[in-house]
Amino acid sequence: MQDLISSYKKNLLLSILLTFFVLLFLYGIFATNNYFTWFNFKTIIRDAALYGIMAIGLTFVTLSGNFFLLSIKETAAICCVSFAMGMSTGYGVESWVGNFPISLLVTLLIGCLAGAAQGLFIGLGGNPIVVTLGGAGILYGIATWWTDNLVISFRRPNDAEWLGTGSFLGLPTITWSFILIAILAEFVLRYTNFGRKVYLVGSNRAAGKATGHENLSMAIIVCTICSALCAFVAVAFAAQMSSAQANYFSAEFGSSGDMTILVIATVMVGGNSIMGGYGNTIRTSIGAIFIAMIDNMMVLNGLNSGPRIVGVGLMIVFSILVFALYAKGSRAQE
Amino acid sequence: MKKLLSVLAVFMFFSVGSAKAVEIVSFNAASSEAYVGAFVKGIKKTAELYGYDLTVFENNYNQAEQNQQVEQYLASGALPDVFIWWPPDATAGLGSLRKLAKTGVPVLKINQLPNEQDKEYIFGYAGPDDSLRAYNAGEMMVKAMKMKQAAGGKGYNVIALSYPHSYGGYGLSINAFKQAIAGTDLNLIGDIGEGFGQANGYKGAAKLIAKVKDQGIHFVYGMDDAILTGGIKALEEAGYNVDWKAMDDDSVITVGTVCNGDKQMIEEGKQFGTTLQSPLHEGQLAIKLVQEYMENGKLAEYINFTPNPSVTAATMDFTALIGFDGKLYGIDELCSGAWK
Repeated sequence: MQDLISSYKKNLLLSILLTFFVLLFLYGIFATNNYFTWFNFKTIIRDAALYGIMAIGLTFVTLSGNFFLLSIKETAAICCVSFAMGMSTGYGVESWVGNFPISLLVTLLIGCLAGAAQGLFIGLGGNPIVVTLGGAGILYGIATWWTDNLVISFRRPNDAEWLGTGSFLGLPTITWSFILIAILAEFVLRYTNFGRKVYLVGSNRAAGKATGHENLSMAIIVCTICSALCAFVAVAFAAQMSSAQANYFSAEFGSSGDMTILVIATVMVGGNSIMGGYGNTIRTSIGAIFIAMIDNMMVLNGLNSGPRIVGVGLMIVFSILVFALYAKGSRAQE
Repeated sequence: MKKLLSVLAVFMFFSVGSAKAVEIVSFNAASSEAYVGAFVKGIKKTAELYGYDLTVFENNYNQAEQNQQVEQYLASGALPDVFIWWPPDATAGLGSLRKLAKTGVPVLKINQLPNEQDKEYIFGYAGPDDSLRAYNAGEMMVKAMKMKQAAGGKGYNVIALSYPHSYGGYGLSINAFKQAIAGTDLNLIGDIGEGFGQANGYKGAAKLIAKVKDQGIHFVYGMDDAILTGGIKALEEAGYNVDWKAMDDDSVITVGTVCNGDKQMIEEGKQFGTTLQSPLHEGQLAIKLVQEYMENGKLAEYINFTPNPSVTAATMDFTALIGFDGKLYGIDELCSGAWK
C-alpha cells in the first residue's frame, strides 16, 4: 500500500493530466453528434491511413536514432507526379501489361532511390535535418520542373482505381493497406534480426558500432523503407484522384498543416523516443488514429481550421509532456 | 581630340535617344501551384511581347515571406517603373504595400479585391471577381434544382466545400453564393473550409458528410473545382451517386468554380458546371493595365475583372477568350487544372 501511495505521489502530475484528458476526451465523444457511427469510424481510419502509413515508415528512421526525414511530402510529391505521368503517358514506352504495373514500379523505384540517397549521406555522418532539407528542395524542384507546374491527369476508368477508390468488406483499400503495413512493420521490428538491429543502433550507436552494426547501412535501409512507404501513399492518392500535382501534399492553408510536420507529429504523439531505440509502429499507428479522432471530433463540433490547428498542436505538447513525465516516474521508481 | 569628342557625342546621342524599357517587379505566390504557374506564364509572355523587363519574386502563400522579399528588394536601392502586388494576406501585407507605395513607384494589386485600407496605395486592380464567380455558381445550382424539380426529384440540402474561412476570398464567395440561392428551396446545411486543393477537399468533405449525413446531401457547392474534385471522391466513397443527370432523390448534384479541377468531372456528369477563371488571362490583363497606366498615367477603370462566365458540359467546347496578345484561347488553355 505504501508503495502504491508513493508511486501515485511520484506520478501525481502525470495522473492528474491523464485523468483530465480522459474526461475531456469522453465528454467530447459523448457530446458529439454522429461521432459513434460506422461511417464516421471509417472516415477516421481512412483519414489516419494516409499519414499513418508514412509515419510507420518514419518510425523506422526515428527508432534507428536518425531523427526525422524532412523530405516526406516532397518524396510523396515526386512519386505522385511520377505515377500520374506513367499512367497518362506510359513514359513513352509501349507495354503489353498496361501502364499501371510500369508506373507503380518506376514510382516505387524513385521513392527507394530518393530514400537511399538521403540515407547514404546521413549514414556517412551528415546531419539528418540538413541532408533531408536539401533533399526536400531537390525532390520538389524536380517534381515541379517535370510537370511544368501543371496538373497531370489520367482518364478513368483505369487499372489503378482499385487502389485509389476500391474497398473490401466495407473498408477502403488504403485503410486495409494501413492495417497490413502496421502489422508487418511491427512483426519486422519485433521478430527479425533487422528489427533488433534497428533498436540496438538507435539506443546506443557506439555499442552498435562495437558489435559490427554500422549506421551507414542502417540509415540507407530505414530511409529507403520510409521513402518507399511515402511512394506507396503517393500512388494510392494519385490513383484516388486520377491526377497529380507537385503540391498535392503541401497544405499550407489546411487544418492538417504541413504533411511532413503532421507525419512527424504522429510519430511523436505515439510516444516514440526522438533519440531512438524506444517505441514501435503500433504506437505510431495509434498516434495516427488518435490525431484523426480528435480532429474529426472538432469538425463535428463545428470548429474551424484555426481552433483545430491549435487542438492538434496542444495534443502534441500534451503527449510529449505525458511521456516525459512517465519516463521520469519510471526512472524514479527504479 | 576632335575624334574623341565626336565619339563621345555619338555615344551621348544614343544614350539619350534610346527608349528605356519599362521595368516591372511582381511579388506573387509560388508558380509551383498550377494557378499561379499559369498566371506567371501570362505576365512573362505578355511582358516579353510588349518589350518590358519583368522580375518575379515568389512566395509560398506566405505573407511573412513576401514582406521579407519587399524589405530586401527595397534595401537593394533598385526601383522599377511599376510594382505588381499579389498579397497572400492583404491585411498582414499592408505594411509592405505602404513601403512599396512610399517609393513613389505605382503599384497594381492582383487577385484580391482592394479593401478600404489598401486602395489609396494602388493605382488599380486586376483579377477575378470572387462575388460574381460564386454568384454564377449559385445560379447554376438553382438552374440544376429547377431541372430536378421538373423531373420529379426531391431533396434540396446543400453543403459547401470552402476555402479556409480565414482566406480573403471566402467571405465574398459564400455571401454571393448564399445570395444567389436565397428564396429558393435550396438549403445550406453545412460549410467546411479544410484547405485548398484536392487532398483537403477530400478530407473536408469526408468529415462534413459524417456530420450531416442524417439530414441528406443533395447539392454540393465547391468554392473551387480542385476542392470539389476531392469532395466528389469523398461522396462516392461514402456511397453517394454523384450524377446530375440522374435527377432523383438520392443523387447528388455538384457545382464548382475556377475551372482548376478535372475536366472529366464535367464530361462524366459528376459536376453540373463551373465558372471560367483563367490565370493566364489574369496575367495578361495585369501587363495590359501596366501598359495603359504607363501610356496615360491612369487607368480607365480602377477595378478590372477577368471574365467569369459559367461553363457546363453543353458550353465548354465553345467557351473561348481572346487574350491581350490577340490570340484566341480555348478553355483547355485557359483553365489551370486537369483540362488538357
